[in-house]
Amino acid sequence: MARIARRTLFRLAGGTALAMPALHTGHAQARKLVFGGSVPLSGGAAETGLNVNNGYATAVKFINEQGGVDIAGTRYQLELKLFDDASDPSRATTLIQRLIDDRVDFFLGSFGSNIVLPTAAITERAEKPMVQAGGGSDQIFTQGYRYVFGMYPRATRQFQSTVAFFKSLTPQPKTFSVIATNDAFSKTFAAGIVKDCTAGGFQLIENYLLPEQISDTSSVLSSVRSKTPDMLLCAMHDQNSLLVARQMIATGTNVGLLFQGLGPQLTSYREALGRYANGIFYPTYWDRRSTWKDPFFGSPTKFAEYYAKNFTRPLAYHCAAGAACIITYVKAMQAARSIDPVKVRDALAATDLETLYGRIKFTPEGDGDAVVMGPSVGQVLKGQGEVVYPAGAKTADLLWPVPDWDKKS
Amino acid sequence: MLAVQTIADGLVLGGLYALAAVGFSLIFGVLGVVNLSHGAIVMMGAYLTWFVWHTTGLDPLLAIPPVMLVLFAFGYVYQRGLIQLAVDRSSLLASMLVTFGVALMLRNLLVLVFSPDFKSITPGYAFNYLRLGEVTIDLVRISALAASLALLGALAWVLNRTRIGRVIRATAQQELAARLCGVNARHVYGMTFGVSAAFAGASGAILGIVLPFAPPDEANWTLNAFVVVVLGGVGSPSGALLGGLVLGLISTATSQLIGPAFPNAMMFLILVLMLMVRPAGLLGNAFAASR
Repeated sequence: MARIARRTLFRLAGGTALAMPALHTGHAQARKLVFGGSVPLSGGAAETGLNVNNGYATAVKFINEQGGVDIAGTRYQLELKLFDDASDPSRATTLIQRLIDDRVDFFLGSFGSNIVLPTAAITERAEKPMVQAGGGSDQIFTQGYRYVFGMYPRATRQFQSTVAFFKSLTPQPKTFSVIATNDAFSKTFAAGIVKDCTAGGFQLIENYLLPEQISDTSSVLSSVRSKTPDMLLCAMHDQNSLLVARQMIATGTNVGLLFQGLGPQLTSYREALGRYANGIFYPTYWDRRSTWKDPFFGSPTKFAEYYAKNFTRPLAYHCAAGAACIITYVKAMQAARSIDPVKVRDALAATDLETLYGRIKFTPEGDGDAVVMGPSVGQVLKGQGEVVYPAGAKTADLLWPVPDWDKKS
Repeated sequence: MLAVQTIADGLVLGGLYALAAVGFSLIFGVLGVVNLSHGAIVMMGAYLTWFVWHTTGLDPLLAIPPVMLVLFAFGYVYQRGLIQLAVDRSSLLASMLVTFGVALMLRNLLVLVFSPDFKSITPGYAFNYLRLGEVTIDLVRISALAASLALLGALAWVLNRTRIGRVIRATAQQELAARLCGVNARHVYGMTFGVSAAFAGASGAILGIVLPFAPPDEANWTLNAFVVVVLGGVGSPSGALLGGLVLGLISTATSQLIGPAFPNAMMFLILVLMLMVRPAGLLGNAFAASR
């Protein structure tokens, strides 16, 4: 038994010794730039996690097909080392720690503030940058972290442009209620809604906080019917948004304006509601028809065309945000003329760049600048998502006032 | 009027909880197995119904019988091929671990086959509602409640009035005595698991009409079933119905009176209290008397 083990050991040692020069040569020739991270490809956040993942993959594939990138005179091919964190923060932290142990220097974010927050703590401690398109909670950007950058303004700053939109409506709504679920992003997003709407002169009727997972909202909707606000603003993830909208329709709960932070952006949401989806408002960070210039893809339209050739999954704004993470990284490395994580971090902090996703500029805390990277307002019209505000970005005319559920066509 | 609305909402929700839990209750009562893959089988029912509705356009309520048949076969094979093996070779605890493993596998299988995206079954009547005075109820939830009651009634009839029901009850009460009378206990256990899976599938079909669903939801439905069984009692449709209705009422009343953030907290508080005060549930164990 011992002899066999010894023999096996010798074989392995010999094999490794023979392979060493080859491995070394391979490493020298590859010039790989590795981006590591975890994404939820299964579990509760997988629907949007897949979109973010596809965004990362699209940019890397496209750039490699163009021959890679030139950084300070050296050409690199990009490589992704992304693992499925199953929407589980504890699994994600284990994966990120393992990647740091494997000497990965640059990180991409998972989806969901509850995952991004603990993983960012690990990359921060290791002084490795993380550029992410999946976490907007204020907590990510108020810990004093220097190495994490987000493609969205922090949650409490995401609603400022939407309030300006509400104020532009005629007839103008006056009152609002908020329904939020108890998760890291939704809670802070709801706090931002209340803060900005109140500052904008709108009167708060009720602020409902629901558990993170919901299977019934009938009690809340009874209350909404008894104290009907002009606007009902929902801060929750996609599946919960669809449940609320379905139950609103199926109980005849009408409000002047229904705004949902996540959900209406997805084709599956709009298909599930059919004609009833028309008129629902949502924030949108990207539209394929916008005229931004991108250093790699050229334009959002060309990005969308390339994506469609390579993926069957419908394109969502999270894909564009994911692709923008890679582009921002590469441009920061080129600006820093280095792939040293600390120098790249400094270049990321100084980024002011036009991409397919729009202009990228971070606050000193690392979240997207609320003025530059704040959302537009979208509305579902004829089953499609359209941008209706601001005027410069709009792709369709606004439907306002929105008819009651049973009068929608 | 808000109180009437709350009660109506609670009863409707409770009907769904009851149907989703009855299969779990039956397996626990007859086999003594805590089936942690119950929620995954509920989700299989939802996905199979979605698939039938999506590909053929067949009304999801009409899809329930074929879905039940498929899951009955699945449940029978699952019990005979895996659960029984674990019980024979080790213990009931081992069977619980097996069901946990199967739940993980089924969840990932659903992700693999149907993608992790949430699905929604929306037949033409999905958005209609009934208004009685100031009380408004989602019509699809009423249909779901009616279907739940009908299915629970059918199960009670099968258990109490048919030969196979008598055999299941006899085996649950005294396995040795049943075997001495010529009952093939292993086959009965397989049948019971099959019936349970069929009812889990039916509840999945109904839940799919009422709620958007995704594979990770399976854990919630296992947990809900557990709470319902602890509340109502083990092994009988009436226990599941009572537990489900109580849970539904607790959920909506808590939401209305204390706050919509607290139904889950209240649900687990009641669970702990019941385990301390009356661990066999409100109606007790349907098969315990002769054990």
